[in-house]
Amino acid sequence: MTRTFLLAPALCLLTLSSLAHATETPPPPPALQPETCSVEGLMDSIRRGLQSKSPAYRRYLSELLKESAVTLPEAQLRAAFERETEPVMVEHLGAALVAKTERGESPATLQLVGKRASTDADPAVRAASTRALRRTSAEEHTGDLYSRLVRDASPEVRMEAATNLIEDNQFVYAGLHGPASDMAVAAAVASSDSKVTARILDNISTAAISKESADQLHTLLGGDDAQVRAAAAKALGGVPAPEMSRARQTLVALYREESDVGVRTAILQSLARLGFASAVPELTALRNVDPRLSTEVDAWVRALSTGLQEWSLILREKQRLQQAR
Amino acid sequence: MSPESSSRPTPPDGPSRFNRRRAIALLGGGLLLLTVVALVARRGGDGGAHVASVEPRSPSGGSASARAQGRAGAAPAAEAGEAVAGAPRYDATTCWKDLERFNEGVSIDTFREWAAPLLVSRDPLVRMYLKERLTELIGNDAGRAGQVLEWTRDAGPKEFKVFAMALKDSEAVHLPEVSRKMLELGMDAALEPERRAGVLSSLDTQKQLSPDALAKLADFAKDPASGEAGWAAARTIARVMKNDHERSANAAPYLDKLLNIGTQSLDEHVRYMALSTPMETAPVLDASATEGFAKVLTTEGSPDGRGAAAHNLALSADRAKVLETFARAFEPEQDVCVRWSLFRFSARAAGKDALPVMANMALVDPRFQPTYQDFERIYASGVVDFERVWLALADQDPYGCLHRD
Repeated sequence: MTRTFLLAPALCLLTLSSLAHATETPPPPPALQPETCSVEGLMDSIRRGLQSKSPAYRRYLSELLKESAVTLPEAQLRAAFERETEPVMVEHLGAALVAKTERGESPATLQLVGKRASTDADPAVRAASTRALRRTSAEEHTGDLYSRLVRDASPEVRMEAATNLIEDNQFVYAGLHGPASDMAVAAAVASSDSKVTARILDNISTAAISKESADQLHTLLGGDDAQVRAAAAKALGGVPAPEMSRARQTLVALYREESDVGVRTAILQSLARLGFASAVPELTALRNVDPRLSTEVDAWVRALSTGLQEWSLILREKQRLQQAR
Repeated sequence: MSPESSSRPTPPDGPSRFNRRRAIALLGGGLLLLTVVALVARRGGDGGAHVASVEPRSPSGGSASARAQGRAGAAPAAEAGEAVAGAPRYDATTCWKDLERFNEGVSIDTFREWAAPLLVSRDPLVRMYLKERLTELIGNDAGRAGQVLEWTRDAGPKEFKVFAMALKDSEAVHLPEVSRKMLELGMDAALEPERRAGVLSSLDTQKQLSPDALAKLADFAKDPASGEAGWAAARTIARVMKNDHERSANAAPYLDKLLNIGTQSLDEHVRYMALSTPMETAPVLDASATEGFAKVLTTEGSPDGRGAAAHNLALSADRAKVLETFARAFEPEQDVCVRWSLFRFSARAAGKDALPVMANMALVDPRFQPTYQDFERIYASGVVDFERVWLALADQDPYGCLHRD
């Protein structure tokens, strides 16, 4: 009796719940009609889409705006950009304006974004505008903008500018375009922030730099900041053929004078890069200068002794040989 | 940047063998090349004057722009830019009413029905979104992955690509029960070859292949009955080799199977796929692989296959043996493009030390004299890195090998 009494409400509950389940109709599928894109509609979608938990949807909206930019009315896009104060939206709109120039429209459109990157009162907006210029032809249309951005009062802006120079160097110019590499070196030198200087020099290709840029790298080797000296030493490892011999001589001499272990590590790498197998005697001669780095010297000697003829492969093998030990 | 510089994955089933050959050529050049592809893609529409001056060709023999053009799955921006150089004209994009509700409300159970109008659309952006959204919905759930795998059995061509690519990029694809089912379906003779090829290509993101899976794929690749899908199986082995090699430096078992396919398959395209794809991984060859590829130089009937073998041999641990092999193979080799491979890859194998061997080659075939002098000049300037030597060459295609097919 008691058991029946207890079971009854349970059954009743089950029935109710399955009834509720049965009567719950799934929502109708969204209509998904294609329509023409408008600046206003896209901005609304993006503003709402920023709340979405789906990165796929956020990526889609950002791509859609960029791809749409070229056919959207420029005046409306400019007006929306100039009105906007929310950094994320500024970045989206800025990227859309830049995309217009990238597709053959006037550089003035891109320059508008450059102007905001350097003059807006809000550092977050300046940083967002700077990001909008990344991996584009901005360096070719904005004069000395980057030398100014790396001296911006905001560390965020300075670092975003450094990232642009690094990524443009690699992804737009494949590290092979002299003017882009020279601009990056000039900005590194111009920066008031040693972290920015070091970061740029640590990450750009110097394969096509001018003699003047190489001279600047040599000058930076004599600076006070060890981080900067290390980055300059590393950058000298990739200089063009006419600069290789001078770089090698300077670095060998500097290794003996230098006391910072980070700078010395960078010098070893550059000597390896400048000489490949021919650097082995040089490196071996330096082995006992700093006992902290004798295993590093050994690692380079082993990697170079593989006889591989491409720097990327030598780096890969060195890492592997060190992991295997 | 990821080497596949576009965020868009290559469609699992390529359109034709000719394009596949181009796609294979794409694999050959490494980071440098791919960054140049990005450069060309980015600059496509605005015709910047400096582009021509910085566009190198790869040692493997294709120009960056040729690669960019032949690149399956290029971003719409790049495609548009390339298509309209000089006279830009762009199609308007499509905005989809109610997509926000789709995005928020869709589940794995409603996806196929709800997405139907988008799956058949010609809008590449929304199709890419669908692929990524489906990857999110699959997550790390074997059941959901199994559900999507089932859809691939009867999906139309456009749907199929979205489903297969979503699976390939999902977390769940790494669960053993999921990858096992995918392998089984890819080998299911009841499916048409294109579908099997697509399913097998969804295994390209595997971190490694078990000995059993590797053996199955290799046997399948060699089997003439596999047709189209055999080609995909060989490519999957090569792509997983790359993943595994990046993590653990492990290439030997994969190379062994690829060499096996590359010497035993009766289909020239499958053999070329197996012989050429190791370029992308660029493993240092051990004695056994060195011997295997050296044999290909004298046994392979297709000049492209022999050229690919030379490319791989350039990274052998035994440089002396490679130089000797190349020196011996040069004279009997009748194809000028294979001779060009033996010549330039001598430099990639041994740098400046290869110059005497290259000088002899230029004596055997005087067409190589000017190129020899160019190499000699560049090494004398102090450049040691083969990539930079290559970029400094006055002509990277002196024998017209780039577009001969």
